[in-house]
Amino acid sequence: MSNTSMLSINFPSLLTSSVHDIKNSLRVLRTLHAQLESIYQDKKHIEFKQLEFEANRMNNSLMQLLTLYKIDFAQYSLTIDEHSASELLEDIVNQHSTLLSLGDIQLIMECDSDLLCYCDSTLISNALCTLVNNAQRYCLSKVLLSATQEDDYVVFCIEDDSSGYPENLLTSDCKKLPELDMTTGNTGLGLFFAETVAQLHVQADKQGFIMTDNNSRFGGSRFKLYLP
Amino acid sequence: MAINLTSKKILVVEDQAIMRETIKHILGAFGARFIVEAENGINAITAMRIDKFDIVLCDYNLLRGKNGQQVLEEARFLKLLPVSAIFIMVTCEQSQEMVLTALDNKPDDYLIKPFNRQQLLSRIERCHARKKYLASIENEIDNGNIYQAIYNCEKLLQLDGKKMRLQLLKMQAELTLKVGDFKTAEEIYQDILHERELPWARMGLGIVAFFLGYYDQAIKIFQDLIEQYPVMLEAYDWLVKAQESLGNDEHALSSLNSAVLLSPQSILRQKKLAALADKTDNLSLAKKAYTATIKLGKNSIHRSSGDYSGLANVYLKSNAASEALKVLYELNQQFHNDPEAKIRAALLETEIHQTKGNKALAQQAYNKAFKLSEQFNRQISRELRLEMAKVFHLNGNGEICDEILNDLVKTNIDDKAFIKNLVTMCDAVIGENYAETLIQHIKKELVDINNKGVGLFQEGNIKEALAVFEKAIIKMPDNHTILLNMIKIIIHDIKTSKPDPEKIMSAQSYINRAIQLGIPHNQISGLQTELDTIQYKSHQ
Repeated sequence: MSNTSMLSINFPSLLTSSVHDIKNSLRVLRTLHAQLESIYQDKKHIEFKQLEFEANRMNNSLMQLLTLYKIDFAQYSLTIDEHSASELLEDIVNQHSTLLSLGDIQLIMECDSDLLCYCDSTLISNALCTLVNNAQRYCLSKVLLSATQEDDYVVFCIEDDSSGYPENLLTSDCKKLPELDMTTGNTGLGLFFAETVAQLHVQADKQGFIMTDNNSRFGGSRFKLYLP
Repeated sequence: MAINLTSKKILVVEDQAIMRETIKHILGAFGARFIVEAENGINAITAMRIDKFDIVLCDYNLLRGKNGQQVLEEARFLKLLPVSAIFIMVTCEQSQEMVLTALDNKPDDYLIKPFNRQQLLSRIERCHARKKYLASIENEIDNGNIYQAIYNCEKLLQLDGKKMRLQLLKMQAELTLKVGDFKTAEEIYQDILHERELPWARMGLGIVAFFLGYYDQAIKIFQDLIEQYPVMLEAYDWLVKAQESLGNDEHALSSLNSAVLLSPQSILRQKKLAALADKTDNLSLAKKAYTATIKLGKNSIHRSSGDYSGLANVYLKSNAASEALKVLYELNQQFHNDPEAKIRAALLETEIHQTKGNKALAQQAYNKAFKLSEQFNRQISRELRLEMAKVFHLNGNGEICDEILNDLVKTNIDDKAFIKNLVTMCDAVIGENYAETLIQHIKKELVDINNKGVGLFQEGNIKEALAVFEKAIIKMPDNHTILLNMIKIIIHDIKTSKPDPEKIMSAQSYINRAIQLGIPHNQISGLQTELDTIQYKSHQ
């Protein structure tokens, strides 16, 4: 084969080292941002908030990339334990609190404080964080974050008042990465990650999964993550 | 907001000035008035010596000196943190590698950088709420009253809804393991696993199997766990213990090595790996592990002169006397005014000169070791004293060797692992039967003391019986039989005379000591119940 020399680059490991590099830079950048933010905290600089938003998004994507890599190479070790669903959601809301303080988007949380779930909390909160991020990007004014018990599952739900998921992200098989939609920039990576992570959670004969539709209480898109 | 920071003493350990400012600013905005800053580990420890803090926020990656984990270990070791204190480790990444390094000393929580004000506050609030909720248990643990802690656990379990249930059960199981009530621990873990497969509960079953001596069963459980959760380091640690208990040192070494590869920053694992590799004559691995231990030890409370002499001895074994000499030099540089280090250095010097054939220098070093050991005798660790007994014997000082061994057997007669090491050494160096005869002799002596005390007790001469045991306990503070009889007599004494809080306290402290020594549950729990009944009555 004429391409052998190209193949010997070993793309996956090259990718992970690059991701680590980028992540390190990003960490410095985020730290600097947090410092600037506290220096100028009395003035409301919208650019700061947007900077934080984008940096968080990048960080989440990179984390997901690394985690997927580890899962793919069977290097990821799940840490399943009992967690409070409301604390998990609170953490996500708190992470977005700076951006929310701008006031033009409402992030509402609905959860019984006694609801418990069994999961790898790092993975699940990562998956949810990205999707909340996306919801904030596409919504008009509201995002609802909730968790409830449905039969043998704890269901995390993100609803917004956007115009809804595009056709290619609805009901589609999230086990495959959807085709990249160049016009909207939708990669579907967030959903793909959520699906992968959900499936790692197994209890007896039940397995985690996700669902997407446009039946949000506010008329926009609705994402559901089921944990057994 | 659930927590008021105004009255809280807070320590912020962080090497970047601007980051310290940021954190202080946030805390200040929520009412904090008493904030102390430390830019490195040493300053943090000093600050904790001066003030008792309610909250410590500590960065893991401190630029110079100790890292956050080492600060935590040292603070806990020196008991600088009140039980109610919150210690939050600030890390850069959700990176598992670092988080997993922690062995025994886990912080109350982790916080990932960068964080905003809401994230910081919510973390502190949650820790505070949890600590407050568990205070009745943690305070008793801190006082060594394990049975009371278990009782308080049960009380909370009866009161509470499901939110804290699993955490309480986990604590209760760990406490029952501590007092050797394996049956209850097993029941708790089984019940949890019946509801849901949770790795820590599965591991609990393995630990129970280990303590009951079912090593094969324990090994199977730990191996299955590791297969399913390849970075579950605690499972490796227990696997190593079980394999060692079966006498399978080679397997233990390989398991331990895997754990060390996963957590190269953990000094205690490196230390253990070095000792095990040394024992099994894997010299290159021993060298590597000793070197790593020494390096990690530079900023750690776990640093020891034994790591240096261990490394030097490995060099001697592999015929590299000059390398050994370099380590000796380093040992002398690193430790001042430490008798153990001085003795180790002198012993090492003796061996190095002997290897090199410098008889006069060897004799000189030996004399130095001899003098030091006479001077510090009992202040020295038992492992080093055993080592010295060997050297004294080899150099014709049989009498002193006998004296040390006699004392070591007497004080450690119930510690099977140590006695086994002692017998191995004696068989190899002094001759077969030496250790056996010594042990038999001391056991007889013990029986005599015991019979004398019990005899006096049965005659109704409580005072003199107590005096016999009190005398014995000073000589042999770790002896199980003497300790248990002592407790029995004190309790009898309290029952037959009028209630005396001082005597009750003394009985409780001996019971706590018995738990610490690992005396089985079935021998202690009855005594604890009796004492509790007395206390209950005296309060009425």
